[in-house]
Parts: sequence; structure tokens; C-alpha cells
Amino acid sequence: MLEAKNLSKTFEGTNALVNLNLSVASGEIFCLLGQNGAGKTTTINLFLGLIKPTSGAALINGEEVKPGSNTNQWIAYIPEVVQLYGNLNGLENLDFFSRLAGYKHSKAELSELLIKAGLQEADHTKKLSSYSKGMRQKVGIAIALSKKAEVILMDEPTSGLDPMSTDEFTSICKELAAAGKSIFMATHDIFNAVNVGTRIGIMKEGKLVHSSDTDNISANELQQLYLKTI
Amino acid sequence: MRKDILLLIAGQFWKNVFKSKAIYLLMGIVVILLIYAAFSGMSYHDQNHFREDHQKMARESWEANPDKHPHRMAHFGTFAFRLKHPLSFFDFGIESFTGNAVFLEAHKQNMVNFSEASFSTSLLRFGELSMAMILSTILPLIIFFIGYRAIAAERENGTLKVLLTQGAKWNEILVGKSIGLWGIALLFTLPFFITTFIMLLIEGHTGTDEWMRLGLITTVYLTYTFIICLITISVSAASHSSKNALVILLGLWLLMIILLPRTSQALGAYFYETPTKLEFRAAIEEEVIQYGDSHDPNDPHFNHLRDSVLKVHNVNSVTELPFNYSGFVMSQGEKISTEIYNRHFNDLLDQYRRQNMLSRTLALINPYLAIKNLSMTLSGTDFETYVDFQKQAEDYRYNLAQTMNDLQMKYISAGVNSSEGKLNVVDRSEWKSFPDFKFNPITIGAALRYEFISIFSVILWLGISVLFLRYFSKNAKAI
Repeated sequence: MLEAKNLSKTFEGTNALVNLNLSVASGEIFCLLGQNGAGKTTTINLFLGLIKPTSGAALINGEEVKPGSNTNQWIAYIPEVVQLYGNLNGLENLDFFSRLAGYKHSKAELSELLIKAGLQEADHTKKLSSYSKGMRQKVGIAIALSKKAEVILMDEPTSGLDPMSTDEFTSICKELAAAGKSIFMATHDIFNAVNVGTRIGIMKEGKLVHSSDTDNISANELQQLYLKTI
Repeated sequence: MRKDILLLIAGQFWKNVFKSKAIYLLMGIVVILLIYAAFSGMSYHDQNHFREDHQKMARESWEANPDKHPHRMAHFGTFAFRLKHPLSFFDFGIESFTGNAVFLEAHKQNMVNFSEASFSTSLLRFGELSMAMILSTILPLIIFFIGYRAIAAERENGTLKVLLTQGAKWNEILVGKSIGLWGIALLFTLPFFITTFIMLLIEGHTGTDEWMRLGLITTVYLTYTFIICLITISVSAASHSSKNALVILLGLWLLMIILLPRTSQALGAYFYETPTKLEFRAAIEEEVIQYGDSHDPNDPHFNHLRDSVLKVHNVNSVTELPFNYSGFVMSQGEKISTEIYNRHFNDLLDQYRRQNMLSRTLALINPYLAIKNLSMTLSGTDFETYVDFQKQAEDYRYNLAQTMNDLQMKYISAGVNSSEGKLNVVDRSEWKSFPDFKFNPITIGAALRYEFISIFSVILWLGISVLFLRYFSKNAKAI
């Protein structure tokens, strides 16, 4: 579970995040919308412990994210573009990153994880530099699966993906949520947010100005709300 | 820091680099350079044999002289050839610009001549490709090229965030990558030392001094490459982009390898001016003339000396002395002119040493200068080794002249002033009994006497680069 309690961050006098209160429970997919510079990535960076909050707290499974804490053991992070190591193949990348997290998998297990993430077996031994963006995202998901992450933070994961890959990615996210993962996704993709998210939030100038379930809202309604809000 | 994570990150860095074709191209180029440098080293070895042969010929020529007047033998003279140190094929140092043969005769300290530079085209001015040159100047560039992206590129593409999220700590990432980079640097470095080791074995140079020198050279260069690796990773960690990191590292290379060494050289020459060869010679000549001319029968100084000798021996004429007076006068003249020469020469050396000290002191801000100095010293191609040859040659010359003067005093009749005539000769067996010139390079301990600052600089830079890495492992940003 992921939780923000009055979480604020100021960069040289500019409020990047103001009193964020939020929780993403197990099985939930929270999609955070907002313009560039609204504070979405800052929120993710605070949960990753890459920056320190000015005030408030970011919590993972009830433990505060701070220097020396071990909250990263529960988290996986999927950036906008999963670059990793282009000279290594999918299996080698997955092997390295899972070992880094303390998990040593056999080659068969690694292959299984990649298949589970949606990457076809024939691609496992190809260099990552030859992968499409969608394929790279799948390696990112496999990394999350390999460390049995309970919380997955995604920063605009569908940006630049073709509709088919986006659809495939959405399905995988839903499967992960169904398996009990808490997913926090920063995105610009309103239609995908409605499709994949269980809850959505709209952020403006560091403030969470709207938060609701996605059950009773259509993509068009969300778009109107988004445009009106920002 | 977790050892398994360090090795994992180092191994991954290694694996990632070796999956790129560029590294094989670089290795190929370095192998070609190594072969070229080793071949150049071997040609230096040929020159050494050439010098040995000529030293032998000079000796044979000396010994082949018939019964002769000793003073004629003193002017017949001989040659001293400077044999190269067995490790000179590793680092040519100042070898090509210093003379390697000197004609030794009475009354005169000739210059050491026949430097390689004086027999080469202007191409030599572009610098020579020795193993040391490749390791000290080209290898840092290769390390910079391999390592500049290590952290900066991962920050740019977000991989660094994934690394940290997977549980790696900053210090583990930086140290792990440094170890990985150093491992690759070792692959480039070790073949040079293995080649040097084999070349020493082939040449039969298996003395303790040579092995100790090689051991120290290896240690010094491995430390140097480690320092370069730590600096590379630190700069990569401190830079916002890999492009910035590359620009900073190239700037550092230019500063360390090109700008600072040239500046230290220019500053040394500016602050501690040395006389030209002509001025140096003229100053000695002037002082000797002022003192007196042992060959001039009316010279006041030597007339006074003659009178005092006659008085001591209670005789009226030099022909009544129990020894040949001409030999005695020349012995005294040799002593005086040598003292004057040595004083001027030592003053000149002191000035050169002041210049060198400036360069050594600048090594505190530039590890390249420290490595360069240590490498030349340990390879026996430094200034002090050359000076030592000059001193050994001069000692030999002085000893030769004085031995001939002693022979003249002992065996040539007191009444004889001239060197002509069959009666005024010494048996040829005397030439053989005078020992041959043999250049003994200074020991490692003596060689390192002037290199304390260089050694301190290497240790200092190792400490500084570790502190840099430590600083960035605490202060570097992932975003």
C-alpha cells in the first residue's frame, strides 16, 4: 500500500507539491493526470526516496520513505522509457536487476517472468537496443514481477506506445492489480487512465485538485473535467 | 557496502562494455600500439649492443697502443658509452635527447654527444611511442571514453532510478562501476607489463634491481589507472549529462597531459635560467685561464708551485727532483681544472634540479606529472640517471689522466721534458692494467631519492579521488 500524508515539496521557493493526501490500496490502480510540471513526477520521486519531502510523509506499507529506510524492497519503478542496458538482452537485463534486488532466478524462471510480462520467448535473447518501446516496458514489468514488488510506480508508461501495445500494457496492469499490486501511474493519457485506472486524480500546480473512482465517469467526461480543471 | 552487489554492478558494467563492438576496436588499436612500442623498444636494445661493441672497440684500441709516453696516452684517451638501462625500452624518458658517448682525455671535459635526436629527422619532435607513453597519455583517454557515460547516461535515460529502486545504494553503484571500469583498464594495462616482463627475461636481465623496478612501475601504473577510473566515475556522477561528462573529462585530459606539463617546463626555464652550452664552456675556460696554465713554462702560478716544490726537496732544478716534474705539474693542473669544472657543472645541475623541482611540485596538482617522473626514474631514463653517467664518465676521465700523470712521474726520467724519444715511454702492459670504463646505473633507492614528491603525489591523488567518489556517493542526484 502506498500513502501520502500532507506530502509537500518545494524547489528553491517553488511549490512542486502541496499537501498531498492520498492512498493507493492493494489491487488499486491510481492514475494521476496533470500538465507537465504539475507535480506528478515529483510525487513518484518522493515515493522512490530520490528526493526528500519539505514536509509531510510518503509511506509504503506503512513505513515512511526516508534515508536508511528499506521501503524500496516493496517498490518497482517503470520509467517513461525503459532504457536499461541496450547491449544486453532481455534475459540478461532481467537477471541483473533481479539480482540487484536480491533475487537469483534460474534462466527458465527469468524466461517465464518475461513471458508473464508479455514478451515473446524469441525476443528474450535479442539485444534490448533492438526492442520497441512496448517490449522494453514489458522488461520493466518483468523486473517488477521478479522482485515481487507490492507497489509499482509508473511514470507515463504508455507515452509513445501504439494503440495495440497500450492495450496490451493495460491488460498487464490489470492483471497485476488483480494479483494484489498497488499501482500508481502518472500519465497524460486520459482515455487509458479511465480504461486502466480504478481511481483517477488530477493535479495542478502541485495540488491534487480532483480525485474520484473511474466507475462512473467516461473518457469524454474526464476529458471535460480535466480541461476545466487545468 | 555489500560485496556481492559491488561485484554484480562491476560485472554488469564489464559485460555491457564488452557487448559493444567499439571496445574491440579500441583493444585492437592498443594491441597495435603495444606491438609498435615493443618493437621500438627492441630497436633500442639493438642500440645498446651497438654501444657495448663500441665500448669494447675503444678498449681494444686503448690496449693496442705500443709502449708510449703516458701523457700521449692521456691525450689518446678513450670513449665512455652510456649503456641503456634494461627497462629503458619501457619508458624512453629523456633518452633520445641526451648524448650517449663521450670522448675522455686529459685536461678536457668533453660533452656527451650523439643523441638520437641529433641523428633523427624532425619527426622525433612529435614524440616517441613508448609503452609508458601509451599507458600514461593514451590510456586515460580510453578510460574516459569507456567510462564517461557510466552514471551520467543512466541518469539521462532513467536507468539510475531503476537501479536505486532495485535496492542498490549510491556508494555501491559508484564503487561497483569504478571496479568494473578498472577491470577493463587492467585488460588494457596488463599486456604492457607482461610484455615488459617477457622482454626482460629474454634479455636475461634477472637481477633483483630490475624486478623491483618492474614491480614498482607496475604498482605505480595500476594505481594511476585506478585514480583515473575513480575520477571518471566521479565526473560522470557529477555531470548532468553524458555530453557534459565527456567535455569535462577531455578538458581534464588536455590540462593534465598537455597544458600543465608544458607550463611547468616553461615556468622552470623562466624562473631558473640556465647558461647556454657556449656560456658554460666560456665561464670554465675563463676561470682556468685566470688560475694558470700548466702547459705555459712562464705561468706565475705554476712558477710559484715549481719554486715551492724545489724548496721542499732542497734542489735547484726540476731535473734534480726524484720524479718527473712535468707529470707533477700536469697532475696539479688536472686537479685544478677538474675542481673548476665540477663546481660549474654542479651549479648547472643545481639549476636543472630547481627546474625539475618545480615540475615535481606541480605533480601535487597533476598526477600525470608524478607518474611521468616516477616512470622515467624507475626505467633509468630520467635526468638523474643521465647525470650519474656524466659523473661516472668524468670520474673515470680524471682517474685516467691522473694515472697517466702518476706513470709519468714514476717512470719518465726527471730530466726529460719532452714526450719524444724511445727512452721516454712506459711499458704497454700499464694500459691493460688500467681498468675499463663500466657504467653502473644507480640503484633503485638512489634513483627514488628525488621522487618523494612524486610518490606523495600518487598517494595524495589516490586519497583525493577516493574522497571525490565518497562525496558523490553522498551528494549525487538520481534526477
